[in-house]
Amino acid sequence: MKLLIVEDEKALADSILHYLTRESFVCEVAGSYVSALEKIELYDYDCILLDISLPDGNGLQLLKELKANHKSDGVLIISARHSIEDKVSGLQLGADDYLAKPFHLSELKARVAAIIRRRHSAGNNVIRLEEIGIDTLARSVEVSGRPLDLTRKEYQLLLYFAYNKGRVVSKNAIAEHLWGDDTGAAASYDFIYTHIKNLRRKLIEAGSRDYIQSVYGMGYKFAL
Amino acid sequence: MKLFVKYSRVNIIASIGALLLGSIGYYFIVRYVLVHQLDDTLKIEEAEILDYVKTRDRLPEPANYRDQQIRFIPAETPVARQFVHTKGRGKGARHPDPDEPYRELLFSVRAGGQLYVVSVSKSEEETEDLLQLMMLITAGMILLLLGTLFLANRLLLRRIWQPFYQSLEGIRRFNLSSREPLPVTGTDIDEFRSLDEAARLMTLQILKDYEILKNFADNASHEMQTPLAIINSKLDLMIQDPGMEERHHRPIQSIYDAISRLRQLNQSLLLLTKIGNNQFVHTEQMDLAALIEEKLVQLEDMARDRHLVVRTDLDKLSLPVNGYLADILLNNLLLNAIRHNREGGHLDVRLRDGSLRISNSGAELSFDPATIFDRFTKGPHSAGTGLGLAIVRQICDNYRWPLVYAYEDGMHVMEIRFPLQNFDKIHH
Repeated sequence: MKLLIVEDEKALADSILHYLTRESFVCEVAGSYVSALEKIELYDYDCILLDISLPDGNGLQLLKELKANHKSDGVLIISARHSIEDKVSGLQLGADDYLAKPFHLSELKARVAAIIRRRHSAGNNVIRLEEIGIDTLARSVEVSGRPLDLTRKEYQLLLYFAYNKGRVVSKNAIAEHLWGDDTGAAASYDFIYTHIKNLRRKLIEAGSRDYIQSVYGMGYKFAL
Repeated sequence: MKLFVKYSRVNIIASIGALLLGSIGYYFIVRYVLVHQLDDTLKIEEAEILDYVKTRDRLPEPANYRDQQIRFIPAETPVARQFVHTKGRGKGARHPDPDEPYRELLFSVRAGGQLYVVSVSKSEEETEDLLQLMMLITAGMILLLLGTLFLANRLLLRRIWQPFYQSLEGIRRFNLSSREPLPVTGTDIDEFRSLDEAARLMTLQILKDYEILKNFADNASHEMQTPLAIINSKLDLMIQDPGMEERHHRPIQSIYDAISRLRQLNQSLLLLTKIGNNQFVHTEQMDLAALIEEKLVQLEDMARDRHLVVRTDLDKLSLPVNGYLADILLNNLLLNAIRHNREGGHLDVRLRDGSLRISNSGAELSFDPATIFDRFTKGPHSAGTGLGLAIVRQICDNYRWPLVYAYEDGMHVMEIRFPLQNFDKIHH
């Protein structure tokens, strides 16, 4: 899988690169509008992470170029402008998703994986995690072939873990993913614990091994 | 005091004063002239008598006719020639009236060796009548003048000051968020035109400054997002490090929480400005009850976490509102009621008779309830941004929905009234 990170902020581009490369992703970084334009003309990418505000141009313009050249690269806009208008115009121009800064890398990973999955899902919409299978189209889960009944939140949680398997995911990232930005910074994250506990119990009861580890005081990790 | 009242008062008092003084002066001048005329007649009479005595050395026959009497009184000593005002000298007249005013000329004359005091007197009645009539006419004129003056001023002021009132109304209606400079009144009076221009320039300047300030706040908030993204991403990488020790977990969690707060703070501030700028113009008919139910489902984890008893009493209510703002409004109100509730407390949501009441059984406020909707007002232990309710108020202000807070029977009540003309109410 080839990714292009169009981000002029080097420290941020490095973090993204670092987090995503460990997967089967091959990432390239373009720090400016010109270099990004060069790259998208030369190569095809599975997903382009596109920062809207570049020092030498607007990311949305890049998106237009992409569509004008009938490129089918997936596009995830990452923007510092938390505005609905930007989001709407980005999506109207053909972007697949929109993520506002600041974001959690685990959230970015989940979004990128979802975009790629949607684009390459022809016939295969099941994510395999050893004995666990997640059907992203039917939104169903099975363990060793037997269906597992999960609540909506538990399903979302499992999918989030699947996209970030082997990584420590912070409680803040989980809370924001499941309950949205507005509910973040809650006084306690106990309600996350409840859902994790339930998911874990259900998986174990269905015969799965215990993959969900608690990283004391900070988050959780789905360790295969 | 209105300008007109003040102006009229000064004007009329001054006019009355001037007219009064003028009338008094007029009275005396006319009186002087009339008396002088009378005196002239008396002098002619005197000259005739003196002439008569001089040529004949005897007194003429005392002749009383009409309003003029001549009397000769034998005297020991001569009197100084003088004019006097007397009364009731009409003894020789057919109808003597003791009060009738007379002008009298006294002088001495020697005739046939005898000294006489001659009194020539003439009734002043006619003069007085004339004076009275003249004064009456004058008074009438004064009243007429004052009346006309008053009415004319009133009309004139009303009309002339019209542009002033227009400008005033424009300034009063001036609203930063509507971004409309003052309308031009188009007056041809220089003073008002310059007032108008000055006010227009001022409001334009205010709008410009406001725009700069707003953009600054906007840009500052946006610029902060990238460094925050960097911090957040570096933390996300750090926690992957297997070499990290457990004692580092807590500080890292604190940093995460702080980033979350900063991000929310930024977003809330941006949202406030946007709502204030009326940037959410798109409205659609929203079913508020359904929206509340949906929101409660979204927040049920948080409510359950605090063991809250949630009670709802929802009438169907549909009203035109921006979907995003309606979501934010309900989110902030409900989240506020959950967060600041006590463990195992109550959360009541009531939507009835065009009013939404959200009550929670949280502890009493530690700050002035009047400031509850102000920016950055929050209790000492609140982890919130202090902007949630400020956003609620901003939204309500935009839609002109009255929003009130009350503390009733141990419950904090937030109530929004939706104006009747704005919604169609359907009872169950």
